[in-house]
Amino acid sequence: MSETTIMVRTEKLRKSFKRADGTMVDAVKGVNLTIQQGEIFSLLGPNGAGKTTTISMISGLLAPTEGDAFIGGHSITKAPLAAKRLMGFIPQEIALYPELSARQNLSFFGKMYGMSGKTLNQRVDEVLTFIDLADRQHDRIDTFSGGMKRRVNIGVGLLHRPQLLYMDEPTVGIDPQSRRRILDTVKQLRDEQGMTILYTTHLMEEAQELSDRVAIIDHGEIIALGTQNELTQQVGEDDRLEFTIGDQPLAETLAAEIQQSVDGVAQVRLTQPEAAGDRLSPGRITVFAKRGRRALPDVINFLNRAGVAVQAVEVREPDLEAVFLALTGRALRD
Amino acid sequence: MTKIWAIAWKELYTTLRDRNLLLIMFATPLALSTIIGLAFGGIGSDTPTLAAIPVAVVNLDQGLDVGALMSDTTPLSGTQAITTTSVPTGFAFNVGNIVASILLSQPISTSGVISTAGAGFDVSALQCNLVADNDTSNNFQGSLDDLLAATALTDPVAARTGVEQGDYAVAVIIPADFTQRFLPAFTTDTTPISGTVASAIEVYGNSGRALSAGVVRSIVEGIVNQFLRLTITLEASVDTLLDTFDLTRVNTTTLSSTLNNAFTTVNTDTFAVLGCLFQSGINPIRLEQQPLDKLQAGNRFARILVAVGSAQAVFFALFTGVFGILSIYEERKQWTLQRMLVSPTGGSTILLGKLLGNLIVVTVQLLVLLLAMTLVASLILGTPTFIWGTNLPALLTLLLVLALCVSGIGTLIVGLARTPEQVQVIGPMVNMAMGVLGGAFGFSLPAALGQLSLIYWGVDAFSKLAANETGVGLNLLVLAGQGLLFFVAGTWFFRRRLNL
Repeated sequence: MSETTIMVRTEKLRKSFKRADGTMVDAVKGVNLTIQQGEIFSLLGPNGAGKTTTISMISGLLAPTEGDAFIGGHSITKAPLAAKRLMGFIPQEIALYPELSARQNLSFFGKMYGMSGKTLNQRVDEVLTFIDLADRQHDRIDTFSGGMKRRVNIGVGLLHRPQLLYMDEPTVGIDPQSRRRILDTVKQLRDEQGMTILYTTHLMEEAQELSDRVAIIDHGEIIALGTQNELTQQVGEDDRLEFTIGDQPLAETLAAEIQQSVDGVAQVRLTQPEAAGDRLSPGRITVFAKRGRRALPDVINFLNRAGVAVQAVEVREPDLEAVFLALTGRALRD
Repeated sequence: MTKIWAIAWKELYTTLRDRNLLLIMFATPLALSTIIGLAFGGIGSDTPTLAAIPVAVVNLDQGLDVGALMSDTTPLSGTQAITTTSVPTGFAFNVGNIVASILLSQPISTSGVISTAGAGFDVSALQCNLVADNDTSNNFQGSLDDLLAATALTDPVAARTGVEQGDYAVAVIIPADFTQRFLPAFTTDTTPISGTVASAIEVYGNSGRALSAGVVRSIVEGIVNQFLRLTITLEASVDTLLDTFDLTRVNTTTLSSTLNNAFTTVNTDTFAVLGCLFQSGINPIRLEQQPLDKLQAGNRFARILVAVGSAQAVFFALFTGVFGILSIYEERKQWTLQRMLVSPTGGSTILLGKLLGNLIVVTVQLLVLLLAMTLVASLILGTPTFIWGTNLPALLTLLLVLALCVSGIGTLIVGLARTPEQVQVIGPMVNMAMGVLGGAFGFSLPAALGQLSLIYWGVDAFSKLAANETGVGLNLLVLAGQGLLFFVAGTWFFRRRLNL
């Protein structure tokens, strides 16, 4: 792979933080990534996995404890301004001045990228049209709806025509319609403008829909990286049967008994019920089977015989969620 | 530079768009100053407005025993000793008494002949106008008695305490050796006068009543200078006499008789020249020493508005200085700071933009308040009145150095504090301390303490400029020095706030 086609490369990127008790904790543990020019690359992981810390180091917001990141060949630690000129940043938060209008926000951040005069005005007009807010350009941001704010937030990141766009969970806390619009915009930026996009999310569906390649991150480490097909192949082509159990404790031997008793079952995982605050998190039995729908009646019969009361059943075909579950033993949403 | 200006403009714009902030920045100090001005200054009046300045007068002067002095005088070669039968031993000549009496507008009471002269010496009876009756260019036509409300005290410590507690605007303390130092060298063996005699009298002023202190100081200097002039004339005359005449031929009996007559006929006319120190044409020092007419010109409300308004303006600007810089935490919270840091904009550019923005906001606040107070004064007085004096370059310089100081303190506080919560506690505490020390709450601490606050220096300079005085160099120097120091130190510490 030639250096010219690589947009982002990280080398052993590590970030340590000091805890309140004085001990150190590694939030990101030596991440190595390569992102090709023009691809949508998703960083998928549960909350607290290290996605934002990783993206913050790559964008120059946080200084790495160790390692480096290169944007278009420019080191973010040694030539930060050159690297930053290539990137646009769309944070999870609405990083806008609420007292300023949409146009004033765009103009202000445009100036931070060295734009001025007619060029800036023209580009602001284009972006306002692109995000479909030209008619509200003079309204203050604090009068906008959540979805409109998100669009301006994205617009700021696009203003200087970046080659690389960081999008940190851009759909958090918005309505389905606005979310749909953002996902379409991301695809449009790649397809029409050839933009490289680094997208972080904890939503498996978004990563599946958008990504050319996905890196799954957990506890500060990349635990899987590749296209969706490559990743799902890592856990085989097994379907996943999810049985929700009430507050009944599950016998430790149950997993082995199901695997032995039901044909086609490759793996069984048990999740015991546990108290979560004043509520009870129900127990779960996850069964991986070659042909899940065919194995389903046999598993239910077995559980009935074993005296386990099933509250709900869900059959899922191989996906990134399954990959994460297979690799960590936890669901993405946990 | 474009980026720095863009950040600074954004600071100014977002501040001016915040209605609540505007209320605190402009409306509150303006309303407070106007109310205090109206409460203590009243509305337009032509009556003397610096009347009845409370003054404590402490006369410690031991005087000089003239009888003893003359008896002890070594006769000139070939002459006889002068016999002063009517100047008995114990007769004291006390210049301090005369100065005190003039200030107190009381009959001079001194030991010896003068006190037993029957009618005594009543300065207030002279009714000396501070300016000539026919001088229409001045408004003030009262006497010294009208101007001062003097009280005689015996303890200098009590007098100073009275000033510090606000009972008196000024204490005038006449030292014990005042007469001895004052009289010509030929009368005594003490060291001849060097420098100004006025320096020997202590004028102890209240920091919050700089104007009154200035007036009293000027009066004391005027009185002493008048004595000094007489002394020098007398000394020169005697020297000439000694050089010209053969004193061995002087009939000392006749001289003794003449002196005897002179002391027994002392009356009001003798000391008239001492009483009417401020009469036009007699004391040429008056106008140079203290432009009383200018001080008296203008309205009491306007003068109070200058003092109170400038103190309130600087006090409220201190809060803008702190909380303007504190917005860095708000920017961090709403991720606009991170957005700037991700752009190809250096941290130092962001820092300079923020600091410049804060400096501009504080400057605008001070400027708007000064103009608004001028407007208020004009509306209340019913005539356009620029209350801040005519020296606009000095006024503008003062405004800028004050803004630098205020913004610098804000930067330093935010730079030193570890969290925004700490700033919210420390900031107001520091500002309140500045306000208390600087006299922003209507009472004043001793000048030595007041000078620790930039408000003191600011108000003092505004008051001087409003009175069209020129001596604000020290104020500007102190404020500029403080401002630079705070700003540089603050910037050094504040850099850390850009680290995420």
